[in-house]
Amino acid sequence: MVNKIEDRIKNVMSAVFEIPADSIDDDSSPESIESWDSLKHMNLVVTLEEEFDITLNDDEIFEMINYPFIKLIIAKYSGQL
Amino acid sequence: MTVRNLKYSEILKRNSDFAKLLSDTGYEIKVLSNIVTSQLNEILEYTLRVDAIPAIVKSGDYDNIVQDSLKYQNSNVIIIFLELSNIVDGLQFKIELLNDDQLDEILEKTKSEIDLVLKNFEKTSLILINKFTSIHFCSSNIMKNNLEELADQLNQYLEMRIPENVRLVDLEKVIANVGVEKSLDLRYYYSSKALYTVDFFKAYAEHVKPFFMSANGKAKKALIFDCDNTLWKGILGEDGFDNIEMSPKTKDGAIFYEIQDMAISLNKQGILLGLCSKNNPADVDEVINSHPDMQLRNKHITINKSNWSNKVTNLKEIAQDLNIGLNSLVFVDDSSFEVNMIREQLPEITVLQVPERLYNYPKMLRENIGLFYNLSFTAEDRKKIKMYKQQVKRESVKKEFTDIEDYLASMELKMTIHQDDKSIIPRMAQMSQKTNQFNLTTKRYTEGDIKNFIKNEESMIFAISVSDKFGDSGVTGLCIINFHDEIQSAEIDTLLMSCRIIGRNVEYVFIDHIIDMMKGKKVNVVKAKYIKTQKNEQVKEFYDKCSFSLTESTDSVRNYTLDINNYEPKQLNYIEVINGK
Repeated sequence: MVNKIEDRIKNVMSAVFEIPADSIDDDSSPESIESWDSLKHMNLVVTLEEEFDITLNDDEIFEMINYPFIKLIIAKYSGQL
Repeated sequence: MTVRNLKYSEILKRNSDFAKLLSDTGYEIKVLSNIVTSQLNEILEYTLRVDAIPAIVKSGDYDNIVQDSLKYQNSNVIIIFLELSNIVDGLQFKIELLNDDQLDEILEKTKSEIDLVLKNFEKTSLILINKFTSIHFCSSNIMKNNLEELADQLNQYLEMRIPENVRLVDLEKVIANVGVEKSLDLRYYYSSKALYTVDFFKAYAEHVKPFFMSANGKAKKALIFDCDNTLWKGILGEDGFDNIEMSPKTKDGAIFYEIQDMAISLNKQGILLGLCSKNNPADVDEVINSHPDMQLRNKHITINKSNWSNKVTNLKEIAQDLNIGLNSLVFVDDSSFEVNMIREQLPEITVLQVPERLYNYPKMLRENIGLFYNLSFTAEDRKKIKMYKQQVKRESVKKEFTDIEDYLASMELKMTIHQDDKSIIPRMAQMSQKTNQFNLTTKRYTEGDIKNFIKNEESMIFAISVSDKFGDSGVTGLCIINFHDEIQSAEIDTLLMSCRIIGRNVEYVFIDHIIDMMKGKKVNVVKAKYIKTQKNEQVKEFYDKCSFSLTESTDSVRNYTLDINNYEPKQLNYIEVINGK
């Protein structure tokens, strides 16, 4: 189950940033992913929301600044990570 | 599977797979908007690529509809997404306090912009304009307010005004299909001027798809019906001539009555009708010729394949006989067996199945009516336009813009220059960190850095705020200069503008002012550079346009020098310059 959620997050990030899912790791952030700009961040938010059927709040959106944080935030909702 | 059932991430994935198959010459669609609609681009691309239209959808500059109408005349299709609530920033609440004159001014300004844009796109083959809507902000209002009134007046104007290459998109229908609540994501409206959800964009893409199908010769041309339980209730061969139902007087008959009526109406619009059913041909003929409740008669039916051969063979023959492609056919049948067989063996044909809950049958057909949509301008359209034209004859002389300068002049632009202004340090730092597109060097500075530039005797930092007659866009431009007094030269370290004010030629007035100031400080030579990033292609030649000379150019950097005596100011007198603090 653990892996499944991580895989789903990676899948979403891969689709949004147009990078291979297996290139995403704990260092993935706007610094390492060139296409991660403010518009793409908006896409990331709505895609994650759609994927996990959740609504993120402003603070969470602001805090999603790298892959580990995204995992933490999604985990809050799923309680399974 | 329609786009509406796919997750956005799935659409992005499949779309990038499609992208690999595209050749260079795509079908170019430009979305010009005064709000952020970038999520529409890939959704619409995917929606069209599924049907082999090699769509490449790109957004114009934010809130630059008029300016972009000069740039994209050669696109295949233009979509104009002019959002009512952002015609003037915050219009949805400001409008209720405006007086009649102010309301009139907004109305006239918008009409003139529409006119200018349509004039510029005169030769473009297809332009889709969204009708105005206030539904997001007014769906629970009992009384009609100013925003609704403005939407009505603008829509009336659009209906009257549209030339032959323009089609209107009824946004309220799209919003109704999704639901007001699910259409809007207000989080991003206040922070980023994005208003709509991906669910809305999926529905929008589906809604406008027929325009593109028709423009690419992919509209369906013929509607072919099975007979038993598709055109009438019952099985002719078993129940007999007297017992099949299609009379409006019986519960189920009424549904088939409605279906036949819809078919006839499509036929009147030029859609060919045909039959493909397993029946004795003579029996079917008898119903067509003499059943009292049958509405479809021989004059409506172009082709009739009622026989005992299999339907795959029959449908192929129908396409051949009508001399149209299989992909121009829509086939309706009630049997899952037949439906699946055709879908499998003739995937080019669009197959519709009579729903199990019969009362949904007319609704299902109605939802698919877009398949037959034809762009061509009908006599009916002409009549309607004439009617509107008479209705609006009272329309008095309205200001018409002759060109872009004239348009910009009408905006009453004012640029306020702030020099070394400590009170806006956070905003200046923020701009340097966030601005990507109009940013010549993309150097990122903290508040501390900015403070140092202000303190330092050898540098100056300028910010501009821009306003027009409808409002103030705040501090939206920045320029940092380092002076080397001993050699009478200066260097432009940073020059950037927020995308909110691009397209108003403010940048040239800003540069004019800066050079003027340098002259006052006895500078002889100005150095400047363009450093390439992924985002700032649009300013690659900015300094060339400002009479700087290119001294050195590599793939990533362009170095410029200006002999200050050679500077040719643009002197755009329609932008008033105010010296702030």
